[in-house]
Amino acid sequence: MALSPIDIELVRTALGSVVDEMYVALMKSAHSTNIKERCDHSTALFDRRGRVVAQGESLPLHLASMLGLVEVVLERHGRDGLGPGDMFISNDPFVGRGSHLPDVAMVMPVFHDGRLVLFVANIAHHADIGGMVPGSVAGGMTEIFQEGVRIPAIRIVKDGAVVEDVLDLICLNVRVPRERRGDYLAQIAVNRLGARRLAELFARTPVAHVEEAADALIEAVARRMRAGIAALPDGTYRFEDRVDDDGMGTRNIPVCVTITVDGEAITLDFAGSGPQCRGNINTSFAGLQASVLYALKVLVDPDGPTNHGMVDPVTIHAPERSIVNAGFPAATAARAQTCQRVIDVILGALAPAVGDRAVAASNGANTTTTFSGVGPDGTYYVYMETIGGGAGARATRDGVDGVQVHITNTSNLPIEALEREYPILIECYALEPDTGGAGTWRGGLALRRDYRALGHVTTFSAQGERFDSAPWGLSGGGPGGRGRHHLRFDDGRVEDLPAKPIPRDVPPDAVVSVVTPGAGGFGPPEGRAPEDRAADLADGKVSPAFLSRWYPDPQP
Amino acid sequence: MALYVGIDVGGTFTDIAVLGADGAVMLHKVASTPDRPEQALLQGLREAFAAHGRAAADVVRLAHGTTVGTNALIQRRVGTLALVTTEGFRDLLEIGRQTRPRVYNIHLDRPPPLVPRRRRFEVAERILADGSVRTPLDTAALPAIAEAVAAAGADAVIVCFLNAYANPAHERAAAEGLAAHLPDTCRVLASSDLYPEFREFERFSTAVLNGALLTVMGDYLDRFRAGVAALGVPVAPYLSQSAGGLMTLDQARAIPIRASLSGPAAGVTGAAARAAEAGFDRVITLDVGGTSADVALLMDGRCAEVQDRTLAGFPLRMPSLDVNAVGAGGGSIAWIDRDGLLKVGPDSAGAHPGPACYGQGAEHATLTDANVVLGRLNPSALLGGTMPIDAALSHRAVAALAGPLGLDVVETALGVTRIACAVMTRAIRTISVERGHDPAGFCLFAFGGAGPLHATQVARDLGIRTILVPPSPGVLCAEGLLAADLRGDFVRTLLAGLDADGLAALAGARDALRAEAEAWFAAAAVSPQDQRCDWVLEMRYRSQNFELPLALDPDAEARDPDALAARFHALHEDTYGYRMAGEPIDLVNLRVKALGLLSRPAPLAPGAGGDPRPVGSRPVVFEDGTARDTPVFHRDSLAPGRTLDGPLVVEQLDTTVLVHPGDRARVDAAGTIVITLGG
Repeated sequence: MALSPIDIELVRTALGSVVDEMYVALMKSAHSTNIKERCDHSTALFDRRGRVVAQGESLPLHLASMLGLVEVVLERHGRDGLGPGDMFISNDPFVGRGSHLPDVAMVMPVFHDGRLVLFVANIAHHADIGGMVPGSVAGGMTEIFQEGVRIPAIRIVKDGAVVEDVLDLICLNVRVPRERRGDYLAQIAVNRLGARRLAELFARTPVAHVEEAADALIEAVARRMRAGIAALPDGTYRFEDRVDDDGMGTRNIPVCVTITVDGEAITLDFAGSGPQCRGNINTSFAGLQASVLYALKVLVDPDGPTNHGMVDPVTIHAPERSIVNAGFPAATAARAQTCQRVIDVILGALAPAVGDRAVAASNGANTTTTFSGVGPDGTYYVYMETIGGGAGARATRDGVDGVQVHITNTSNLPIEALEREYPILIECYALEPDTGGAGTWRGGLALRRDYRALGHVTTFSAQGERFDSAPWGLSGGGPGGRGRHHLRFDDGRVEDLPAKPIPRDVPPDAVVSVVTPGAGGFGPPEGRAPEDRAADLADGKVSPAFLSRWYPDPQP
Repeated sequence: MALYVGIDVGGTFTDIAVLGADGAVMLHKVASTPDRPEQALLQGLREAFAAHGRAAADVVRLAHGTTVGTNALIQRRVGTLALVTTEGFRDLLEIGRQTRPRVYNIHLDRPPPLVPRRRRFEVAERILADGSVRTPLDTAALPAIAEAVAAAGADAVIVCFLNAYANPAHERAAAEGLAAHLPDTCRVLASSDLYPEFREFERFSTAVLNGALLTVMGDYLDRFRAGVAALGVPVAPYLSQSAGGLMTLDQARAIPIRASLSGPAAGVTGAAARAAEAGFDRVITLDVGGTSADVALLMDGRCAEVQDRTLAGFPLRMPSLDVNAVGAGGGSIAWIDRDGLLKVGPDSAGAHPGPACYGQGAEHATLTDANVVLGRLNPSALLGGTMPIDAALSHRAVAALAGPLGLDVVETALGVTRIACAVMTRAIRTISVERGHDPAGFCLFAFGGAGPLHATQVARDLGIRTILVPPSPGVLCAEGLLAADLRGDFVRTLLAGLDADGLAALAGARDALRAEAEAWFAAAAVSPQDQRCDWVLEMRYRSQNFELPLALDPDAEARDPDALAARFHALHEDTYGYRMAGEPIDLVNLRVKALGLLSRPAPLAPGAGGDPRPVGSRPVVFEDGTARDTPVFHRDSLAPGRTLDGPLVVEQLDTTVLVHPGDRARVDAAGTIVITLGG
């Protein structure tokens, strides 16, 4: 049976409503702030071969863990080894093709009349997955064994019943197990919800029809990608940038890309990128692939659906055991820093090819802070969050101030939610003036967030980037501000901390101040309209000193 | 003769329904005057009274729904606001949740805040999550801030402090301190007065949205009130709310944001009243207009409420009916995406240029054009014959899609209607299946210009067997205004465990809310026999952040923690598929909905009912893709008690009803068409 474009669109609508419902249900029923408030989770459907058919409103980096997820389950258990009522749990970057251990995936095969048809899956970033450091992403870790529990695509549900032994083993090895357990149960329930919805769909629509439409939906996305690539001028494009450091002494690690556009095909070669390093900023191939697909989609097909069809038209070469294609047993917990840089170099390389869609460098970090300890009431806590920064100026508009960019889009934790759950006080959450790169169009401003432990000593760890190399401008635009960590004591002492501090204790008479990077400007500063300069000054987004430094010309 | 008047001011038309106590119905429609909405409204009232020989002095109820506030926010034609907030948090309103609206589209930005940074001021103060004061309010700084606020020309200043939901003392003190130094023309509001719940950005945003409307809506309501009084209407008018009830104009002036989503709510209220009259209390409503389809679910005749909405891109925390709107309406444009798949909407051709068949230069095919091609809509004129169209233009527009799709024109037109219906079906699944209701147990209540045209396809997809079409779908919002009761909503945040302390807090909150409700009843002059209070307790597992609502008997149940826990565990398992038996449970909010019951006018009487013979016939394409010669009836000719077998088309001024082959239509005593699906 050949389905018409109309039949295919009808199936797309139906599958989309399943992943969307799963996404909201997980947010509302989860227990940890990371999921229920920050939405650090994703949902997807796969075909029986393991290709992503539909993804909910999800984080680009989670696509990394999704793409290979079902293949790993199929390789390990065989198609005949899967039964109705099975569900699998997986998180490992190497044997599980994930991207870092805290992203725990759950996947469930869905059968109809005894035949495997689709898989439903979800991924949630758990605030802790064990290992040597609370929150499992801090600097100082050098191999994956220090980063937490490695889970190799094993059953978490068998014949419909939760395998309590496995859940107990995991929960014993992670911090704040009660909260984690609630999250795992929520993840399991959400897959069951998805499977139930698919069963209802199969009752309305023949399974063969759904399967054929799924193939067509993947092909449709591939077609969109190819058309977008074909619209880029053929040629070779290069760009190089660097990651500041790995937190373990390796500095200025290059990330390089050479992009060849040839008709409908595109090849990205990361030769020249630095070797994999001791610190945990390495990314597995899955993380690299997710970053590449994100950047290309932003430039050539931002409004299309996300599925496996994005993969086929794109060829990626990356040196083995490099920072962008790390091998066992590299530490990868903070791989998002390198993923952001991969995106920066792709957007930078293709800037000359995309006209008005070009964008200057955004904050280029996945600024992560973790606080842990025993609060005044005797309860152990781990609290982690990521903080946005500037978004790059565009060819036609200023960059957005204080926002999550590129590989991530997690929400902040509302201060009132945070202060109810953790013995931490936020003393400032603000835009940081003078951090948006000057230009005809100004780069977005950085964020500042100040934390104080109440009545106890907290352990602070963090992952910053672009503390050294600033986000670059384009077409004459200036660079954005760099990131900073300080410790400000009440007696007036100020201590600068590195971008990736190893965990350190902070007493209640000090404030941890995190300033994220800003973003680059676009076009020469002299082209900026007088009313935009005046508005920036009136709003205090730039200081008079910044204005006179970057816009010295008399206003036109 | 007592008269009841309902007035619905939309962006395009102002609809007026005047109902007599004897069941007489007078409908009047005038073009809206968006810059001065009361002009069309008052003119329309004058015309309606004159045309029907009625006197304004006989009006006993006048209820009004309006999109004036929503439109003002969308167009950002709002007051000049200032904001005073906790030191260190001036930018919170602008940062929001620090996310971008679309993951991959980096050219689509969140809207800029309604208060620019230059008018956001900080003051030293800090309250902790438990309500204790960490830093006292720096009252000495208030005069200088007030001066800056006044200098900025603000007509309202919003005080938004962290943790004010836990202890509003600082917000109130600051509001008083500022007011003392500000001219009377500048209003001062505190975030915790409006919505005393946690999550600062959502609370601040709600307060700012409300502040933004104070002047716009206040001025409008004053002109409206004066104009109505000048017409000789002897009663004080009411305004409808997003949550479906009515409020007095004084209440609306204080909290104008409550009226922001009142249009769809009035439609749902009207549908509930009509469906009840037809004997149905499990109803899914489908209101398909020009640009969108609004759907809602009524269980026991009542629509669920939600607390979280987005308005003009900003979060709004305010009770509103759970109406789900999607971009599928008669004007929705059909287009071929770059992957070759056919899409419908969300872009709409609107009234100008409108569908291709309007002949106003539009080349895009719309859902209306697809229906013209299929013969489902009249090929020569719409709106009961008052608006001529050119079917050839519809054919041409749909043919332009058919070529690239490799389909013929009829297949393509059918595809357009199917995809639009799939979008509507998905919207209904969200409010039914996803809330644990099987739509097969409901009837579908179709209204709006295009609802009765697509209801059958939507019903079949959902397993629904019965469709209701009210006598005059265009006036349903106005009817709803007359079916509504007065309503006030009050809430207290508890954030306490389900233990002795929590129950004590619950009892305290109940008593405080009861006092608030009584004050509200007094202000709205509701007599004791017309007062009703509905209580809802919101609970969750301690480590969750989204609560589930339980209807509560505030006296008996508030003493029984085990029963409350058992009900919560069961509700959680129903909703999310699991329970955590040992996990502590928190009491989050106690809400009370105070209702002042109002008298109802007699139901609309059906038309006299003339000759039930068809006025003609035309070929209509149904789902099997073949055209059948199908009789066309005028709605006026369908008298109560008539039963007709499909296929048939019913035309009337404000809608077209399509009855498919194998289905049967019956006209009930009130004039509602009840379609029973066959097969």
